[in-house]
Amino acid sequence: MLRLALRNLQMNTLRLILTTAAIAIGVAFVSGTFVLSDTTDKAFDQLYDGLTANTDVVVRSQAAYTDNGFQSEARPIPADLVRTVAAVPGVAVAEGSVTGFALLLDKTGTPIQPGGAPTLATSVGGNAALAGDFSLRSGRMPRGPAEATIDARSATGASYVVGDTVRIVLSDGTHPFTLVGITGFGDSDSLAGATLAGFDLATAQRVLGRTGTVDQISVIARDGVTSGDLVARIGATMPHGVETLSGATLASEGAAGMQSGLAIFTQVLLAFAAVSLLVGSFVIWNTFNVLVAQRRREVGLLRAVGATRRQVLGGILVESAAIGLLATAVGLLGGIGLAVGIRRLLLLVGVEVPSTTVALEPRTLIAALAVGVGVTMVAAAVPAWAATRVAPIEALRDAAPTTDDGSSRRGAVGAVVLSTGILGLLACAAAGDQRPLTALASLTAFVGLVISGPSLARGTARLASHGRRGGGWRMAARNVARSPRRAAATAMALTIGVAVVSAVAVTATSLRESVGQTVSAGNRADFILQPVGSGAGLSPTAATAVRALDGVADVVELKYSGAQVDGVRSTIVGVDPTDLGTVLDLGTGTGTLDLAPGSIAIARTEATTLGVRVGDTVEVTYPESGPRALTVTAVFADTATGLISSSYLVSPTDFAANVTSTLDRVVLVAAAPGIDLTTTRATITRALAAYPNITISDPAQLTSAAQKSTDQLLGLVTALLLLAVVVAILGIVNTLVLSVLERTRELGLMRAVGATRRQVRTIVRRESVLMALLGAVTGIALGTLSGVALSRALTGEGITTVAVPTTQLLLYLVVAAVVGVLAAIGPARRASRVDLLTAMAPD
Amino acid sequence: MTDTTLDVVLPQTISVAARVVDAHRTYGVGGTEVHALDGVTVGFPAGMFTSIMGPSGSGKSTLMHCMAGLDTLTSGQAFVGDTDLATLSDRDRTILRRDRLGFVFQAFNLLAPLTAQENITLPADLAGRPVDREWFDTVVRTLDVADRLSHRPSQLSGGQQQRVAIARALVERPEVLFADEPTGALDSRASAELLTFLRNAVDDLNQTIVMVTHDPVAAAYTDRVVFLVDGLVVDDMTGPTHDTVLDTMKHLGR
Repeated sequence: MLRLALRNLQMNTLRLILTTAAIAIGVAFVSGTFVLSDTTDKAFDQLYDGLTANTDVVVRSQAAYTDNGFQSEARPIPADLVRTVAAVPGVAVAEGSVTGFALLLDKTGTPIQPGGAPTLATSVGGNAALAGDFSLRSGRMPRGPAEATIDARSATGASYVVGDTVRIVLSDGTHPFTLVGITGFGDSDSLAGATLAGFDLATAQRVLGRTGTVDQISVIARDGVTSGDLVARIGATMPHGVETLSGATLASEGAAGMQSGLAIFTQVLLAFAAVSLLVGSFVIWNTFNVLVAQRRREVGLLRAVGATRRQVLGGILVESAAIGLLATAVGLLGGIGLAVGIRRLLLLVGVEVPSTTVALEPRTLIAALAVGVGVTMVAAAVPAWAATRVAPIEALRDAAPTTDDGSSRRGAVGAVVLSTGILGLLACAAAGDQRPLTALASLTAFVGLVISGPSLARGTARLASHGRRGGGWRMAARNVARSPRRAAATAMALTIGVAVVSAVAVTATSLRESVGQTVSAGNRADFILQPVGSGAGLSPTAATAVRALDGVADVVELKYSGAQVDGVRSTIVGVDPTDLGTVLDLGTGTGTLDLAPGSIAIARTEATTLGVRVGDTVEVTYPESGPRALTVTAVFADTATGLISSSYLVSPTDFAANVTSTLDRVVLVAAAPGIDLTTTRATITRALAAYPNITISDPAQLTSAAQKSTDQLLGLVTALLLLAVVVAILGIVNTLVLSVLERTRELGLMRAVGATRRQVRTIVRRESVLMALLGAVTGIALGTLSGVALSRALTGEGITTVAVPTTQLLLYLVVAAVVGVLAAIGPARRASRVDLLTAMAPD
Repeated sequence: MTDTTLDVVLPQTISVAARVVDAHRTYGVGGTEVHALDGVTVGFPAGMFTSIMGPSGSGKSTLMHCMAGLDTLTSGQAFVGDTDLATLSDRDRTILRRDRLGFVFQAFNLLAPLTAQENITLPADLAGRPVDREWFDTVVRTLDVADRLSHRPSQLSGGQQQRVAIARALVERPEVLFADEPTGALDSRASAELLTFLRNAVDDLNQTIVMVTHDPVAAAYTDRVVFLVDGLVVDDMTGPTHDTVLDTMKHLGR
């Protein structure tokens, strides 16, 4: 009796652990996502509050619109204004500052690359209070034209100490500076990963080309003067085009800018959370279904001795709520750990997300409880309700493991819904550009899969039942066919994960192919010069140097700026059209591509979207200078937009008049006809030795570089999605363990009549493989179809061809089979250790 | 009437299908030790229908389990034919069960997802060898389950389920068929039917059967009854009748 009680407890402990784990993982992913994004928000708020803690008022040039993050594109204001502001009554301190591009070189001359973050230069060493959390870690602030400070993160990474000479790439070339101090931001070594070179104001103005101007004036009010009053007083003295705002406004604007940069990341995380939530729900649902089904006899006994249905149901609900609460608590802790883990991961790829104490917002708790307790209780209540509907004596009599058979009507409905979804996806793929419909069709197909899951499970079993006698396939097929609903629900959890992974793979591969094609499509240049990493640009002196070389025919400089075109956020390119045709295939367009001041050339698709032709007028709003009316003088082919990533070309004169930065973003170089490209490349490389921040690519390298970045994207996305697949695998383990427990008697009998341990293990393993393959095959099929339709829907985003990565998808299939084998290891071992005598105990 | 050394006296003249020598089986350790078998020596001649009887806790099921390789002795030896079970690995014991022994339990003899026919051929399927069709037909005809072959266990009566279980055991031509209270869950009519089938298997097919039972009526169908009390053989009766068995049970006083 004691032995039985202990065994029961042991059984229940395992069930409890497995169930709790399934719920906790789902909760952890959802809460982890929320915690990460909330913590990041909070940290940015604190960071910007810290930076502007003592700044009461800020004066800067008025921007036409603000949608830029923290790399200010604001036009400088005259430095004289600093004195004007200082003279306003109530102003205690007024200080001008400038910020711009600077690239730090490490001791070997290689640029220090902060991942995706910008590389900045700024004026430092003014009023300490105005600097807020920006402070010296060691050394002192720079004084004079030969001294600089750098951020602690760069200093640590490149092993710089105070007293070293640091070479810094500036707009006008590379210059050495003596490192006199190392700076930090509060506890953070860098400002969200950016590298920062600090100079005194005069030096900063000189190296950034801002002599006589400042980007911003920061003001501290005298005691007793509110920042609101001061904003009004200073504002009254400022000329047109200069705005005055409070420090608090600036802080929230800066934090919002950073957050909008990370918003995409957060949204992607939330999308993954939704996927894993769905997968987790399936696993929780399935687990409780099996648990309650196994307890039919217990329910029958309770009912027989007089428990009402309400009492039985209530008991199960309380139990599931308790398990749900326990699992939610575990999951929340896991989520916080996950948030920290993702932050570490980001740090590895060079994105420093500032951190602070963990932010646990109410919505995180609500979401966690909804997932952990809500889903669990519903998953428990439905089968429990079904169990109480059975006559008590029938439940008592039913000693054999439960069997279910999806009704034929369910099969028919499933077939209809599934084929509707598939036809919808095919139609979307054929038509193209049908985003909402593609999503709808994908969802329909998935719902169809869920409904017809039991039929599919039976079909899988039928296929497997053709296996060799005694080989285990037949018995495995029997077990799958015995409860096709359970097998289907287990497989569907995997289906979701695999479908999303496959869809991403197809879309990313299509993107990769398209990128390769579009980048090379419009290109006629032999070499493409670009800044390393992202952000900033090339000094125009580099293009001048290349232009003078032997063997170089044409050099075309492309300068970029954000702008609104007829109110739509876009990127415009300032370019001299003279030699443009030799480096870029602009196709057969309309109009004349002369790009005289006041004119604009537009790519065909955008022209159609805006509804403009040659001769019409569009309004281009520059962030610095505001709206300008430009006449459309040419419409060019879309093929060219692949290389230049923009659909708008304006004259270099107009560009210079409205954009302060003089940096080139891309320089296209055509070699002289018939010349050896290798030699020319070597010549250019030599000429650009002073510009370590420039990469030289030939068209093939450009293509592979573009493809590499989509590969990285694919890798990152797949890695995150794998977490959802892990949840699904746990679901398979769960189902197997539960069905092994359920079949103890059967397994014992099989062992008694001569099944070896190995044979029992084989049967469980093959059951697992059948479920894994069912999930993988349906997932890959659905994912591939959805991916194709999605790729066709994203033609506007640059996906021009559809490519299906067959090898990769086959690999997923193989991995699924292997995963099936691995998931079965524990349950199979357990099954093979079943005590023979329990099979004969008359209960 | 009592001869506990049957196997020792007659080893040359009658072949012994299974036997145990000084068998001990102890469960638990320390103060909670239970001696289920406390030195049993007994043999079961081939072609004979033997029953093992005794009150609850007498060790009769343990004796059968240990002889059938479902459980292992703490000390002593158990033989099937000339094979010492103690020398076999778990895998070899499993194969011995599959190839040389047959089992019928009180209940839960059949695998629910398999049809009657598939249950009967399960040991052959597990061994991956073909079934002797002719013998299969003879067995299912003898046990009167020929028209139930495509049914699932849940569609069969208790008696039919037990007959299918016997068919599964017989179709492998086991050296010994072990039956553990095979009529325990059946009514008297189904019991009588089943016991007649077992008796016929011994008489017509020369099958060796060892049956654990506590029912004097069932014991009366057998050739010999071995009585166990507290893990020891206390009586051994050949040619039992309902009355002599009942009488002996009363004498054993439980």
